[in-house]
Amino acid sequence: MTINIVNLIVSILIATCLVILQETMSNMFWLISVDMPVSISNFISTYFANILAMNFSGAIPLVALVAVAFLIAFLVAKILLNWLDVPKTYAYGVAGALAILSLVLLMPLAFYNLDILAGGRSVLGKSILTAFGLISGIYFGRTLEKRII
Amino acid sequence: MIKKIGLFIFGIAFAYSFFANDRTYKYEVIAEDLSHPWGVAVINRDNILFTELSGQLRLIENGVLKPEPIKGVPEVLFAGQGGLSGIILDPSFEENRKIYLAFSSPDSGQKTNTLEVISAKLSSNSLDEITSLFKASPSRRTAAHYGARMAFLDDGTLLITSGDGFNYREQAQYLDNHFGKIIRINTDGTIPSDNPFVSNNDALPEIWSYGHRNLQGIVVVDGIVYENEHGPMGGDELNIAQASKNYGWPAITYGKDYSGATISPFTKKDGMEQPIKYWVPSIAPSGMTFYEGKMFPEWRGSLFISALVPGDVRRIEVDKDKVKKEEILFDDVGRIRDIVSSPDGSLILATDGPNGKLIRVVNK
Repeated sequence: MTINIVNLIVSILIATCLVILQETMSNMFWLISVDMPVSISNFISTYFANILAMNFSGAIPLVALVAVAFLIAFLVAKILLNWLDVPKTYAYGVAGALAILSLVLLMPLAFYNLDILAGGRSVLGKSILTAFGLISGIYFGRTLEKRII
Repeated sequence: MIKKIGLFIFGIAFAYSFFANDRTYKYEVIAEDLSHPWGVAVINRDNILFTELSGQLRLIENGVLKPEPIKGVPEVLFAGQGGLSGIILDPSFEENRKIYLAFSSPDSGQKTNTLEVISAKLSSNSLDEITSLFKASPSRRTAAHYGARMAFLDDGTLLITSGDGFNYREQAQYLDNHFGKIIRINTDGTIPSDNPFVSNNDALPEIWSYGHRNLQGIVVVDGIVYENEHGPMGGDELNIAQASKNYGWPAITYGKDYSGATISPFTKKDGMEQPIKYWVPSIAPSGMTFYEGKMFPEWRGSLFISALVPGDVRRIEVDKDKVKKEEILFDDVGRIRDIVSSPDGSLILATDGPNGKLIRVVNK
């Protein structure tokens, strides 16, 4: 039980860090496209500043949003696994992907179609974020499968 | 000893309350229970036009609010920050009764909308001769960041602020669209031949300046165009706008995204203009006026910027491109959406929200 909670927290943290990476990348790549002098150190310092700011000084702590989305998605996955014969890695991977995709799609509905996560405005951005949810979910599912073995 | 300390504290408190109330102005409520008052245009002291974001154009006639809104206002999208917004009188209003309105215009049969500006002739209780002068392109899916303020240049051309639409912020740096721009047109909707990008085939010819975010106040003083704009989380700006200049958003900014993310680590770049003042944290600047009245001689020559957060007015003493002093005023009436000067020297405030008021500031 304790290990599951730790793994859940780790998967939430992985997803949060990846979402922030995508947010940072999307801003930095656009700045490069308009000839702003973005250096590697700019990129790294901005990423770590974003990790702090998006969790502690933004309008809503990102890690809390991801946690709520993952808790709901993983709970649904756990219930469905009682009837479905699929590997947990895949089931939780899909759940993680859907959790992040839902977050990106539903948040604008609460804010007059405004995308609070700027990195999720484009189809490409949404796809990358969904893939990061998948990776985080797969991590969680794999840790569960390892424990069974 | 305790008695002496008590007397000392009482003395300090008394002195503070005495001086805190030693202000030179008082408020007079002109109208109340208004639905999101947004833009105010003063015809003369007792006749005032104003917009309500929910779509009504209202008239205060001889000091009394007419109960019925003025008829003939086009359909607006009242959602988010969208609605009936900016209003300005024609410089020859006394002769031609012409006004200009800026609003969020829904695209027929679509989920999109855009900023539109119309001119119309004000009759007794309706708008006639309505002409669409400008529609921002492309349309947007969001209901935010319209700009929608207007000012006349000395040559009679009309400046229109067009916001970045929130989701489209990067477009402020490109000249093939109207997001994050100041637009300059003639009052018949045609494009002045001396606009800065008319000969650039890759640019829209209405564009006058670019790289703006959500411009909420614009005034022209002795040929100098002052504009204020909302930054994101921090980074509200007061700029001197000039033709063809790039004001940098979102490549340079003093603010952060609402998520907390860094939009840009840069605040300066060659070829991008700096604000003459910026605010971190945000004050959410809204309307702006330049005061030349006689009622408050000590305020003459100041810019007044109304602010939504926490709700006050910033009196800015400017010397062309230098800010000399900032003073906070009127911080006890709530969020202030607009501020205008009246010919009698008073100032008129429009407070924000579903129960907004028009308040006149006069001397005691």
